[in-house]
Amino acid sequence: MDEILEILNEVRPDVDFENEKLLIDDNILDSFDIITIVSEFNEAFDIDIDVEDLEPENFNTVAAMKELIDRLQG
Amino acid sequence: MTFVDLSFVVFLVAVAILYYVFPRNYRWVVLLAGSLTFFYLNSGYLLLVLLGTTIFTYLIARRIQAISDAGKQEAARKRLAGADKKRIKLQTKKKCKPYLVFGVLVDLGVLLYLKYYNFFAENANVLLASQNVHLPHLNLLLPIGISFYTLQAIAYMTDVYRGKIQADTNIAKFTLFMSYFPQIVQGPIPRHKQLANQLYEGHSFDYVRLCHGCQLMIWGWFQKLVIADRIAVPVDLIYNNYSDYHGLMVFLAAAGYGLQVYADFQGGMDIARGFSQVLGIELELNFNQPYFSRSIEEFWRRWHMTLGSWMRDYVFYPLSLSKSFVGISRVSRKVLGGFVGKRLPPIMAMFIVYFLVGFWHGAEWKYIAYGVWNGVFIVAGILLPEAYQKICDVLHIRRDSFGWRAFQVLRTFCLCTLGRLFSRGTDLTAAVQMFKSIGTEWWDVAFLLDGTLKTLGLDAANWILLIACIVGLYFIDSLHERGVHIRESIDRQHIVFRWVIYLLAIDAIIIFGIYGPGYDSATFIYEQF
Repeated sequence: MDEILEILNEVRPDVDFENEKLLIDDNILDSFDIITIVSEFNEAFDIDIDVEDLEPENFNTVAAMKELIDRLQG
Repeated sequence: MTFVDLSFVVFLVAVAILYYVFPRNYRWVVLLAGSLTFFYLNSGYLLLVLLGTTIFTYLIARRIQAISDAGKQEAARKRLAGADKKRIKLQTKKKCKPYLVFGVLVDLGVLLYLKYYNFFAENANVLLASQNVHLPHLNLLLPIGISFYTLQAIAYMTDVYRGKIQADTNIAKFTLFMSYFPQIVQGPIPRHKQLANQLYEGHSFDYVRLCHGCQLMIWGWFQKLVIADRIAVPVDLIYNNYSDYHGLMVFLAAAGYGLQVYADFQGGMDIARGFSQVLGIELELNFNQPYFSRSIEEFWRRWHMTLGSWMRDYVFYPLSLSKSFVGISRVSRKVLGGFVGKRLPPIMAMFIVYFLVGFWHGAEWKYIAYGVWNGVFIVAGILLPEAYQKICDVLHIRRDSFGWRAFQVLRTFCLCTLGRLFSRGTDLTAAVQMFKSIGTEWWDVAFLLDGTLKTLGLDAANWILLIACIVGLYFIDSLHERGVHIRESIDRQHIVFRWVIYLLAIDAIIIFGIYGPGYDSATFIYEQF
């Protein structure tokens, strides 16, 4: 979780990732942020996040992102 | 028959009555018949192009679905899990991909041929003049809405491929999805997941919904006929005789065109959404008060939202995550390091998106310039936040202050306005000339008071009415921006007051709409795209 937060804070230091629950639905993260974050996740966790995974429910919260990463690593 | 013809109003009433007269299970048939009739009345035998695209897209999606289902059945039969299941999934995707690529190429090919052939031919003739190459100019006719329904078809096939939706099994129902008449002219660009079932299932009559739908349609006609077509008079005059004007006047013409296209496009959307609401169908929102945006990037999230989300899901995301872009990403990180290296690939993808957005608007260089103009400012917004912060620090500007936010809104409006010189200029050369002429004697504001305005096609009364309407449009947008639900507020009023509002609005459209001798309302701007 810490590594995920580190990546997220590096991409968007102005966002309170631990408390925001609707990062996509509230337009806090835009498509550019998502792609930057996905590239970082792919690199850091050696996974391949596919276009099909780019759904709001996978990126609305940090917990959802962790779940996605865990699923792809498993 | 366009959205602003009286015959269209009669057509809407007939479709709505038939819709509710028919048994619930067959109401979709009324919509299908209405949609095909509307298309035929507007595009004649070009209906065959739409039907061709529809049948082809339907068959491709069915094939992709069949391969996907076979893959899933195999995994289930062999009780596969984990890596094995993933392997089967990848193999299935690999089998489906050629069909998707073929489907996209054919649908896109029809659009490219009909809409862009002459553009490519003209440019090829210029480039290859020394080789004695001469491609002929063809008089090609475009079916209405081809730029919209082609994107719709591509999204549908891709969503079936991605497993987000099941392919339709009823070709007649799918034809309705592709041809639904309120949205085929100028969008919104629908997604199957959001719209299809709403079209296929019959809805019960609801009086409140009927009122809300009619209110939205009236507001749509008001925006189109009273505001957009009125602004068009001076705007067209200045754009068509641009060399006679300079300075602030040219800028105001560009700003006027921005408001014209907004009232025109949003008006069309409100007519489409309003009629759909009468039938119990909710179309996607295409505008979210774009002129309150504080950056160009935000503007494009609020303007023509369904085109933006289409570009995001079917161009930006796949391109950014493609093997070539991932490769570029690795290299750019090593060569350029941290901040820029990580952002270069998505910036490149973003640029391609805005190039395509511009090109989608029309087969002319001016539209490509329009796309690039927007792309440049969006990329600047991504790369320069630290520089903006430093400027604010040096000037002691608080970024959460009202003044700064108002400045950002105004700055975005000005940048959008300047971009409109490209999209509305008669051609790229004219747009560049107009750009230059804004700088010529820009301080000259005498034209505002010396009677010049009256030479622009509108008399004093019309100018006053136009300014009042723009203020009214701003007021309504600010209410929406604050989350006020205007139609629900009207519901709470006494019946007499409600009907006074309705009748006044209808009277205003009849009295103040731009008609004139031999009236032929201006075509909806986005209908031409």
